[in-house]
Amino acid sequence: MERVKTGIAGLDQMLHGGLLPETATLVEGAPGTGKTTLGMQFIYNGIVRWDEPGIILTFEQFPSQYYRDAASFGWDFRRLEEEGKLRIIMTSPEVSRLDLEQVGGQIERWAREMGAKRILVDSLSHFERLSEDPVELRQMVYGFINGLKREGLTAVLTRESPALLGEAESYDEGLAFLVDTYILLRYVEMDSAIHKALLVLKMRGSDHDKDIRQFTITDHGIVVQSRFEGREGIMSGSPRRMAASFVEAFIRR
Amino acid sequence: MDQDLVGRLMAEMDPDLLEFLQTKVNSFLKWDLIRFFYENPHTTDTAENIARYAGRNPETTRAELEELAAAGVLVESRLGEMTVYSLSSDPEVRDLVRRFVEASDDRQFRVKAIYHIIRGMR
Repeated sequence: MERVKTGIAGLDQMLHGGLLPETATLVEGAPGTGKTTLGMQFIYNGIVRWDEPGIILTFEQFPSQYYRDAASFGWDFRRLEEEGKLRIIMTSPEVSRLDLEQVGGQIERWAREMGAKRILVDSLSHFERLSEDPVELRQMVYGFINGLKREGLTAVLTRESPALLGEAESYDEGLAFLVDTYILLRYVEMDSAIHKALLVLKMRGSDHDKDIRQFTITDHGIVVQSRFEGREGIMSGSPRRMAASFVEAFIRR
Repeated sequence: MDQDLVGRLMAEMDPDLLEFLQTKVNSFLKWDLIRFFYENPHTTDTAENIARYAGRNPETTRAELEELAAAGVLVESRLGEMTVYSLSSDPEVRDLVRRFVEASDDRQFRVKAIYHIIRGMR
C-alpha cells in the first residue's frame, strides 16, 4: 500500500510505513511537546526527500517564527518558499474554512499551482472559538478536513491539549473521530525528570504499532526511540515501575 | 521646520517612495499594516483578525485597511458574509512595498518618513 512517509524513522515504523495518502492526522499534545516540530518535519522531509511540495496553514504563529524555528533544526524554510516548494500562510480558521468551500479559492489555487501534496494545519484548536456547539464545530472541522482531502493533500493537524500531565478534564474528544490517524504526545514524569511519550491511538485503514514510545527533540528534529518498558500508566503522566523485571527503558534502536 | 529643510527632505528621497509615502502610507498604522503584509504576503483575513495580529484597535485598523485597498496596495474582497483583505498581487505594487519596507530599515529613511507622515497628519 502506498504510504506518505513522515521521514521520522521511528514514527514511520509505528505507522507501518507512513501515513495513508490523502488522509488527515491529528497530532495532539500539551504546549511544548513537539506538535509543530513534528508537523514541520513532515512538511520539510516531504519537500527535500520526496519532492512533495507543502503548505503550512498557521492560525497563530507568524511565518517568521516558522523560519526561525525551522532554522534551528537546519531546515531552510525561506529558501524552500523562494523555490516555490513551500508556502506558509497565516490566516484564520473562519477565513480558510470558507475559502476551501469556494470553487477556485486561494488554498485550492495555491495547492494546484505548487502541486502541493502535504499540509500542516497549526492548529485545529483555533476552530474551537468558532462555535460553542460541539455538533456544529464537528461539522465545520469535518467540512474543512474533507476540503483538504479533495485537494489531494495529506494533512497533519495539530491540537493543543490543556493538560500538561495526564488526561484533561472536560475535553471534547469528538474531533478525534473526524480524523484518520490520531497521534498523542504526552509529558511523562519519571524518576524526577520529564520525558516525552508518543502513541499512535488510531489509524483508519491500516494496522499500526500500539507501543508507547519515548521521543526526543534533537538538533535535527524529532527522534522516536524504543518503547517504554517496565512501566505502566505512562499516559497518566506519572507511570509506576512494574514489578522486579524492570527493563531499562529508552534504549535507542 | 523651515521650508528649505522640508524641500531637502523631499528631494533626498527616492521619488517613488516619496509618492508612496505621501499618497498611500499617510499614517503610522498604515506603515505597520504594510510591513505586516510584506512579512505575511499570503495572508487573507478580516479586519478584526488583522488588527489582532498587528495588536491594534479593530475599528481603526478597518478604516486604514479600506484606505489601503482604495489606494490599490491591498485587495478587498467578499468571502461569504466577511470582508477580507490581502496584499495586491500586482508585481509593481509588491515591488514598491518591498522597497519601502527595506528602505525603512535605514534610520535616515525612517526619520524622513516619520516627518512626512506627521506633516501629512496636521
